[in-house]
Amino acid sequence: MIAVDIISDGLFAAVAAMGFGSISDPPMRAFKYIALLAALGHAARYCLMTFLGVDIASASFVAAFIIGTGSVWAGKKVFCPMTVLYIPALLPMVPGTYAYKTVFSLIMFLQGISSPTQGSEYLQAMIFNGAVSFSVIFMLAVGATVPVFLLREKANSMTRGSRYI
Amino acid sequence: MEQKNAVEIADFIARYLSYMLGAGVHTSRVVRNSKRLGDALGVDVSIHTSQKTATLTVMDRVGNIKDTRVLDIPAFPISFEWNADLSALSWAAYDGNMTLDEVKAKFEELVSKPKMNPVFVLFMASLANASFCRLFGGDIWAMLITFAATMIGFFTRQHLARRHVNHYIVFIVSAFVASICASTALTLGLDSAEIALATSVLYLVPGVPLINGVIDITDGHIQIGISRLVNALMLIVCIAIGMSGTLMLVKDSLL
Repeated sequence: MIAVDIISDGLFAAVAAMGFGSISDPPMRAFKYIALLAALGHAARYCLMTFLGVDIASASFVAAFIIGTGSVWAGKKVFCPMTVLYIPALLPMVPGTYAYKTVFSLIMFLQGISSPTQGSEYLQAMIFNGAVSFSVIFMLAVGATVPVFLLREKANSMTRGSRYI
Repeated sequence: MEQKNAVEIADFIARYLSYMLGAGVHTSRVVRNSKRLGDALGVDVSIHTSQKTATLTVMDRVGNIKDTRVLDIPAFPISFEWNADLSALSWAAYDGNMTLDEVKAKFEELVSKPKMNPVFVLFMASLANASFCRLFGGDIWAMLITFAATMIGFFTRQHLARRHVNHYIVFIVSAFVASICASTALTLGLDSAEIALATSVLYLVPGVPLINGVIDITDGHIQIGISRLVNALMLIVCIAIGMSGTLMLVKDSLL
């Protein structure tokens, strides 16, 4: 049952990455690697958070690191810069709900401003949602960029000798 | 090298640079690629970028002929295909000793390639949002409603964007439309209606500028990174405004 959960998490994350990625017009040849990387990354985050109780920001960092490292290997195969592969693969992990709930808490705080107890509750919710969304986005981007820092030369010549232009 | 040639090269690099920045490529890659392209054509290139304009100086290596210009960055939709192709073009010019005319012809060919079919994108985005709903724990009915709501919302977005409506208004309207469609789940009394409602607007979240912004900050282009993040934040506020319209109508409370 646990295996089914993990696999279905990866599968749905792969579909989500391909769909959200297609809005930003990636090359057709990149799709299968975007799906693979997104599935690996999201399933890894799911395992870390569900079974090991790791917090969302650290788990996202590990997942992004896996995706970034994978995109070094896949980028050379399809002659795509790393960002073309890892940004779409990271999209399913971008904390969209936390981000707009930050704005909602602010609106609710302003509406309940006359009642001090309610006001402080919403303010707390705003700081909570804002902190989670900011740190997750930060960790996602940094985690995926670490392989670029480690492998400067290799990471910057992905498209050298491309067969696709 | 004569003055004319340096000016021609500067014209081309200016175009290359504005297309890459306009298509949402992170700054350090644009700078690196333009310098490489300049290297291949025999000039030194220096660039200063900001959110809507860039400054470019091209200097030829023999006669110290300089050409400086300020360019407006056009607002293209984000395109990873241009990112990959134009990066490959800079390497091809560097390795293959192409002449300026050859590089120019190749550039025109690459940027005039047809874009992805909008109907296919519409379908994929709806499918993506439906699977997102599943990741948040929604059942099959919630997924179906999210699929339909996203399709209508995304269709609205595509049509408004084609008419060049201001993009903040596009985001508010499409968030409202998508969430009001998803609120049928509440009317039908589904168990995971809340999840369908919460995920129906997620196709609008500007994930690419958010990640690009942080990448720019870690690369040291802090100003443009912060500009990107602020831009994305404005869009998130717009999503929240559009969605709060629905929530006020159907449940009286936002959280």
